[in-house]
Amino acid sequence: MTAVNTATVVPPVRRRAAGKPLLPPLVARLLFLVFAIGFWEVASRYGWINAFTAPAPSAIWSGFIQIIVAGELGAAFVRTFLEALAASAIGAIGGIAIGWWLHSSKKIGLAYTSWVAAAASAPLVLLYPLFLVIFGRNSSTIVAMGALGCMPPIILKAKDGLDGVRPVLLNVGRAFSLTPRQQFTMIQFPAALPVIFTGIRIGLLFAIINVVGVEFLIAFGGLGELISDLGDRFDYPAMYAAIFFVVLVSIAFFYLTEKLEIWLLSSK
Amino acid sequence: MAAIEQIGRGSSASAGKAKPASEFWTVTRLRIAGAIALLAVWEIAGWSGLFFRGVLPSTVFIAQAMFQLLTSAEFYWHLAVTSFEVLVSFLIGCSLGTVVGLVLGSRKYTGDVFEPFIHYLAPTPKIVFLPILLVLFGVGVWSKVALGAISAFFPMALGVAAGVRQVSPVLLRVGKTFNLTTMQTVRMIYLPALVPPLATGLRIGLGISIVGCLLSEYKLAKAGLGFLAGQYYEAFSVANMLAVLVIIFILASLGNTLIEKYVRLPGPGDVQAHR
Amino acid sequence: MTDVTSIATDTKTPALRIRDVAKTFSTPHGDVVALKPVSIDIKQGEFIAIIGPSGCGKSTLMNAVGGLLEDYEGTVEVDGKVVRGCHQEIGMVFQEESTFPWRTALDNVAFPLEAAGVGKEERHAKAMELLNLVGLDGFENRFPAELSGGMRQRIAIARTLAFKPRILLMDEPFAALDEQTRLLLGDKVLQIQQELNQTTMLITHNIAEAVQLADRVLIMTFRPGTIKRVVDIDLPRPRSSKMMGGERFGHFVATIWEDLREEASKGLLELEQVRST
Repeated sequence: MTAVNTATVVPPVRRRAAGKPLLPPLVARLLFLVFAIGFWEVASRYGWINAFTAPAPSAIWSGFIQIIVAGELGAAFVRTFLEALAASAIGAIGGIAIGWWLHSSKKIGLAYTSWVAAAASAPLVLLYPLFLVIFGRNSSTIVAMGALGCMPPIILKAKDGLDGVRPVLLNVGRAFSLTPRQQFTMIQFPAALPVIFTGIRIGLLFAIINVVGVEFLIAFGGLGELISDLGDRFDYPAMYAAIFFVVLVSIAFFYLTEKLEIWLLSSK
Repeated sequence: MAAIEQIGRGSSASAGKAKPASEFWTVTRLRIAGAIALLAVWEIAGWSGLFFRGVLPSTVFIAQAMFQLLTSAEFYWHLAVTSFEVLVSFLIGCSLGTVVGLVLGSRKYTGDVFEPFIHYLAPTPKIVFLPILLVLFGVGVWSKVALGAISAFFPMALGVAAGVRQVSPVLLRVGKTFNLTTMQTVRMIYLPALVPPLATGLRIGLGISIVGCLLSEYKLAKAGLGFLAGQYYEAFSVANMLAVLVIIFILASLGNTLIEKYVRLPGPGDVQAHR
Repeated sequence: MTDVTSIATDTKTPALRIRDVAKTFSTPHGDVVALKPVSIDIKQGEFIAIIGPSGCGKSTLMNAVGGLLEDYEGTVEVDGKVVRGCHQEIGMVFQEESTFPWRTALDNVAFPLEAAGVGKEERHAKAMELLNLVGLDGFENRFPAELSGGMRQRIAIARTLAFKPRILLMDEPFAALDEQTRLLLGDKVLQIQQELNQTTMLITHNIAEAVQLADRVLIMTFRPGTIKRVVDIDLPRPRSSKMMGGERFGHFVATIWEDLREEASKGLLELEQVRST
């Protein structure tokens, strides 16, 4: 094999001299969690905090079991999941299309990219009453709000990604006489994908936030409605359980997509 | 939320380039055409009969409604309530976020242990905490303040912590060679370096606390712009509702612009560039 | 490789004929002549190198011949037929990293076949054959990021060979590599070129590389670029990088440098003037 491997000598990384901590961060983090939950339990049992408005973790756990057994949580989760999926599918397709449009002409990009950037930082979710008027109190409003929330970051990242495709790769395609369609599917899109994925990931988070938020506000749909209903029923343990469930699901989702993104970027 | 920063930065960099005069006019023309097209779509959709009557009122009616709102005393009461909520929640959320960010950023072990909590809680929907906050703080302004503060806290804490870590170790060593006190190090090295993350955190924090306060007003409140918009919605006076929304958006972007303009003390690249 | 070498050889019409190819770019500050009319005839199987200072229009010429640039004066003929735009008979190897990072070595080489609608099995078999040819058998499932710069450039070369183009254009294909890799890869390219009897046009700014590989070296002037002189390299074939120490080799290098020096100095002078203003 004629491969020439240039072995580079890496100087040893200098670590900040510091006393070694007692516990690894992960263990310390878990211990802190256990301690906090334990303290909450004790505080609630001994009446240091109001056990009705802030039920003990054990009560919340039984509330959790209760809404699982009743089938409420599962149904709500599926519904929210499907709505978020529909919203992000619409948002991703629309976002990539608009990103492509902004990329396709320099002038159009210059004229409208800043508008999209403004929309990305504007509180678009506040527009939901308008959508409520247009679509009525049903899933369309929720999906529309989710799609609206996730589109701006996807548009911006799709444009960035397509702008960043190296010209030589496009030239390779031209040299092999690719059709414009092949040029997009075989070169531009895969080359821009890592960047577009970042946009889709942020977009999905925004979609979830908007979907759950609007569900909660209009008390219709999946997990958001469940939280709202349980609150109205004064079933606080179950309500806390549903809230923690939403938080855990978004954390799990965020964590997984974060790992996926790192993997995508590193393997290129 | 760090993701939003990335996006903002990327697009502002591309907008910052100097462009020749002819290009400027082409872009301006395109923008005017785009704005007219959007308005036309709105008007045509409103008149087309595709939607229920009154759903998409003409911009003329919206402008009329805005004028009426701005000349009524009641509107200013709601505006005052919302402004109070937003400002107080923004202040609480951002100052807590700054303190926590400073601690997490400067103490490696503390950061390693606790930052993941903030990192992973940041992108969760905060509005779902509202029922708890309603129980704890009541239906009045304080539940809204609490939600706004929680919302603003996360991007601020993460931004400041990342900013502290970005301060070049070389500069800290320089500081050490001149025997700076802790306060001097903070004032002369950390603070200038922290201006860009602080500005970003403040900007995102303001936007997000506005969202937090107004959404909780929509859900359950006695006063405020969100409450007002909700009332108009219930009464199906869409033009009035849209007028409120337009005013909210104008105020939000005004706040955004103000922060962008004035929170820029030294050049952002001064201390951080070297990494 | 028997089917590869059986490319028809016609000795009368040149395989590649470049006729008065010229290009003027119009900029807001007025027209810039990038290339004054250039004419070259290249025989089947001949290896020519074009050498010149930076900014002499080498790449413009290459892009015109390869078809990436369509708006130029003059004509390009392949076997007597005028071509404009990209053409299957002309393969191009680029200076920059041009492998697709999301495709394995095998899929990179199979890329043009896939675009042309060749079935999976057939294109993989062909791509394997080409990987063998450039000496990368055993690396077919690696991604470019896992391979060295020289290996990636060999993938790019193998990919260009997918349609067995009659004519191979190489735009500084070794520029991004270190000196030793460059020499070894040069030997590899020579070996493949001989094996396939390909008409080859190499653009370079490395004199030794031009002498090592080419039958003829064309020296270009500084902007506006055109051909200043042609040097026939009558070193015996098969050649290899081992010849570099030879007296004749040194003679050619010195001859070319004498001509090139003047042009390179002009380029440098202009660069310094631009800097100082």
